[in-house]
Amino acid sequence: MSELRRRPRTRTLRSRLTVALVLGALMVVIAAGALAQGKGSLIGKLEGPEVVTDPAKLPKTFKEAPQLAELVKAGKLPPVAERVGQDPLVIKPLHEIGKYGGSWRGGFTGPADFWNGYRCCSGPDHLLFWDYTGDKVTPNIAKGYELQDGGRTVVLHLRRGMKWSDGQPFTADDFVFWFEDIYRNKDLVPTPSAAMAINGKQGVVEKVDTYTVKFKFPEPYYMFPDVLAGSTDLGGQAWRGAFGLGGYAPAHYLKQFHPKYAGQAEVEKKARDVKFDSWVRMFFNRSDWSLNPELPVVSPWKTVTPINTPTWTLERNPYSVYVDTAGNQLPYIDKVVLTLAENLEVINLRAIAGEYDFQARHLDLAKVPVFLENQQRGGYKLHLDPGDYGGDMIIKFNLSYEADPEIAKWMNATDFRRALSLGIDRDQINETFWLGTGTPSSVVPADGNKYNPGPQYRKLWATLDVKKANEMLDKIGLAKKDTEGFRLRTDGKGRLRIEIMTLGGQFLQFTQIAEMIREQWKKIGIDLTVQEVERSLALQRTAANEQQLAAWNNDGSEHLFTFPTHVFPFDAIAVVATSGPLYAKWFQSAGAQGKEPPARMKELMAKFRKAYGVPEKERIELGKEVWKIAAEEVYIIGVIGMGPASMGVRVVKTNMGNIPSRQYNSPDGKTPTISRPVTFFWKK
Amino acid sequence: MATLVLAGQEQRVFVASQWQLMWWRFCKHRVAVAGGVVVLAFYTIVLGADFLAYADPNASEAQRSLMPPQRVYWLDGWRFGPYVHGVTGARDPQTYKRVYRPDPTRKVPIRLFAEGFEYRLFGLIPTTRHLIGVDGGVDASRTIFLLGTDVQGRDLWSRLMYGTRVSLTIGLLGVTASLVLGVVLGGLSGFYGGVLDTVIQRTIEILRSIPTIPLWMGLAAALPRDWSILKVYFAITIIISLLGWTELARVVRGRFLAMREEDFVVSARLVGCTEMRTIFVHMVPSFMSHIIAATTLALPAMIVSETALSFLGLGLRPPAISWGVLLQQAQNVQTVAISPWLMIPAIPVILAVMAFNFLGDGLRDAADPYGR
Repeated sequence: MSELRRRPRTRTLRSRLTVALVLGALMVVIAAGALAQGKGSLIGKLEGPEVVTDPAKLPKTFKEAPQLAELVKAGKLPPVAERVGQDPLVIKPLHEIGKYGGSWRGGFTGPADFWNGYRCCSGPDHLLFWDYTGDKVTPNIAKGYELQDGGRTVVLHLRRGMKWSDGQPFTADDFVFWFEDIYRNKDLVPTPSAAMAINGKQGVVEKVDTYTVKFKFPEPYYMFPDVLAGSTDLGGQAWRGAFGLGGYAPAHYLKQFHPKYAGQAEVEKKARDVKFDSWVRMFFNRSDWSLNPELPVVSPWKTVTPINTPTWTLERNPYSVYVDTAGNQLPYIDKVVLTLAENLEVINLRAIAGEYDFQARHLDLAKVPVFLENQQRGGYKLHLDPGDYGGDMIIKFNLSYEADPEIAKWMNATDFRRALSLGIDRDQINETFWLGTGTPSSVVPADGNKYNPGPQYRKLWATLDVKKANEMLDKIGLAKKDTEGFRLRTDGKGRLRIEIMTLGGQFLQFTQIAEMIREQWKKIGIDLTVQEVERSLALQRTAANEQQLAAWNNDGSEHLFTFPTHVFPFDAIAVVATSGPLYAKWFQSAGAQGKEPPARMKELMAKFRKAYGVPEKERIELGKEVWKIAAEEVYIIGVIGMGPASMGVRVVKTNMGNIPSRQYNSPDGKTPTISRPVTFFWKK
Repeated sequence: MATLVLAGQEQRVFVASQWQLMWWRFCKHRVAVAGGVVVLAFYTIVLGADFLAYADPNASEAQRSLMPPQRVYWLDGWRFGPYVHGVTGARDPQTYKRVYRPDPTRKVPIRLFAEGFEYRLFGLIPTTRHLIGVDGGVDASRTIFLLGTDVQGRDLWSRLMYGTRVSLTIGLLGVTASLVLGVVLGGLSGFYGGVLDTVIQRTIEILRSIPTIPLWMGLAAALPRDWSILKVYFAITIIISLLGWTELARVVRGRFLAMREEDFVVSARLVGCTEMRTIFVHMVPSFMSHIIAATTLALPAMIVSETALSFLGLGLRPPAISWGVLLQQAQNVQTVAISPWLMIPAIPVILAVMAFNFLGDGLRDAADPYGR
């Protein structure tokens, strides 16, 4: 199929001249068009396909890809109507009904780059998911849901006749198997997930009939549909299957690796034979969407050559439950080929050369001028997809820091944090590292976000005011300075040196930006040391409570309740940047472990926790309250936000169809999955 | 009398000291002399980096990010008076590049001994005078960027001056360290022989059998990431010199072996000189010239090593400035495509390495008493 897309080879001089002339003329036209369109042309209108739930609009007959039709003819596959079942997942493509065929080329950086193929090809296989605005929960693998019993029970309706990728039926038994035999098996899942609990109390999964499942909780859990849609432990097989989570699992396949069905001795022997440490390891390997080509899946593409090889290939799932409004089984594109490029510069170069068909991950914002320059030659168009989160870059204070009491004291002083935030010249940083495309901002999400507390919080403590910052620092007791103008510690141990931890090789050059901030903070007498560390060392440091400041982003925080990691100390496990591991432990253990946080933070945590158990309207109010406290207290400094720096630089071949001019860019949206890549197709 | 006059020239040769002979021979080697001049120029930069720089190498300004090198106009009317045009910069909304337009009506004269940022000349005398500069210091709209700026709007010329200082002193310190190691260990090995000789020689062989770059990389990667810039700087010097001493040690050992039985050494011992005195007063001076030549030839290797390590991100790290660090920051697609001037730091690397090589070549020829 790749012949279809290859540009015609120009072998003779004449044809080259013609092509040059035509291209020249085209460029003039396009340049004129671009001039007319103005600056906004790279950032388009937010748009995307929709899930059709109106029964009147559902297609009655079904069509399939030519190669599948042949298999049906040869008797190797059941007919398409049988494969998609009675209730397929109908997607209305963004622009038009597409055509079958072709492959999609992209790049990935190795086995650790799971998100790459996961974001493009998993469908998603969430039970519920978001609409293209990332705001509303829509049906997905599950046909629908109901909240009953005052929010204590969530009933999920499954799709009748839906199949796993090997043709076996997908039913309520797969949920019960997951819950009883995987989730509740202490070897597989030693610590129960917070997603399956409300106020620390675990829920249960029950089968109602073949196509109906119940999630029951002891207390109201109005958030649960959002939890199923978000990047949580119940976020589907592709995302969490390899960890014994996800919400469902292919019972008929995984039973052969499970001691309860295959026998303890048998699975242990099997594990030894294929050189796994334990049966648990083998089980996880076998249920890994990106590693095991034999695993039955419900995603529209399935792994053919796994992620730990030089090309990660995914092919269409013949039993895909996705169809378009004309009844064509989706996806349109046959195959996704991701080639290994460990060096990010190589990925960018290949994208510039037009060797990728659709790529957003790992493309560098600083290279936008180069991408633009090569658009015609590479046969692609560049789009920018700004995120809805307030911080492409944020600076976290470790509020539960203990190693140096003096520094811990200052990091816990609200005015100290505010003054530091006022000492950052965000316009400089935006122009230098975001090419002016970001927004200087506090941590709060975009104005259109439902949890946004109001426009006055955008710039709260997030403007440049060196004079005020100096006054505040003088006032809180840091007035004494050394000969070079740096503030002195109050315990007589010399200069107040604080340290910021940064990671290299990320979507943004955190180290370089931190160095710029270090220069800016000289003006407020703060001596900052920038330390770039490896990811593993960063994890080790945050876990050991050794981090002082750390640079990161708060992507995902626009979905406050499903992605709160970068809003307040939430994760008790190791993260690359923490706002206080001891407070997080306190929060997660409901006060049993860790350290008790200060009153204002406790208030924030209480509001956050309460929001899970109340209906949406109340939850939105609580969300606003959480952001208000976060912005007022500056637990985290927002630097630049709502920019395209993180996965928002998108290069797409011009002849690919159903491409949104702007898509919702977020980890919860698994962008581009939120734009439903199953509907992308080759126009010629 | 005529013969005496004729012999004047020759007589000079006969009475000249060894150093004078070397100097005369060296002067005949034109390329080496040129190399020597370049090397001297480089070390002048090392001494006066802050005087030669006209902008603070760490002062960043987004409004002058990625500014191309400015054209210098030498004549103001018919009078000699170098100036540059003032520029206004903005980001092009179509190409997202920063575009700088020179404004011909605004002349920014370049002044000698202008005032700029404060520093200590030779680390001692606090001053604000720089070799060149403009009135009004480092204001974005009124300053010069002879070699353009980097992404953060820092002046490349000034950064290059500071980078030269770091890169060349690392080379010098590295060579000094390996010189000491080489002479001491090589001397011990050659003078005493026996077990000591065997041990030292085998160590050298082992060290030399390991490929250089991977070994350096391994050692450099083992440096704790939380070390301060100064510590890393010294550690890198030591790492680089760790291999540099082996070759010198071999040469010194060979000389010692050859000279141990020479008449003047035997006489020195017979009249009762101590071993120390024999070595340092009688033996070392007789091959000092050779050591100098070997050292000069070792320097470019050191410089290249530092540059290579920093280029690979294993040597010095920002905010330290060295040639390698400057080049590492130019290691991306956008530099090649839109800001090629950031690759300028490669030129001094090439120049320095060549100059040192020619100089070393000339010195070696001059120091060889049997060469023609």
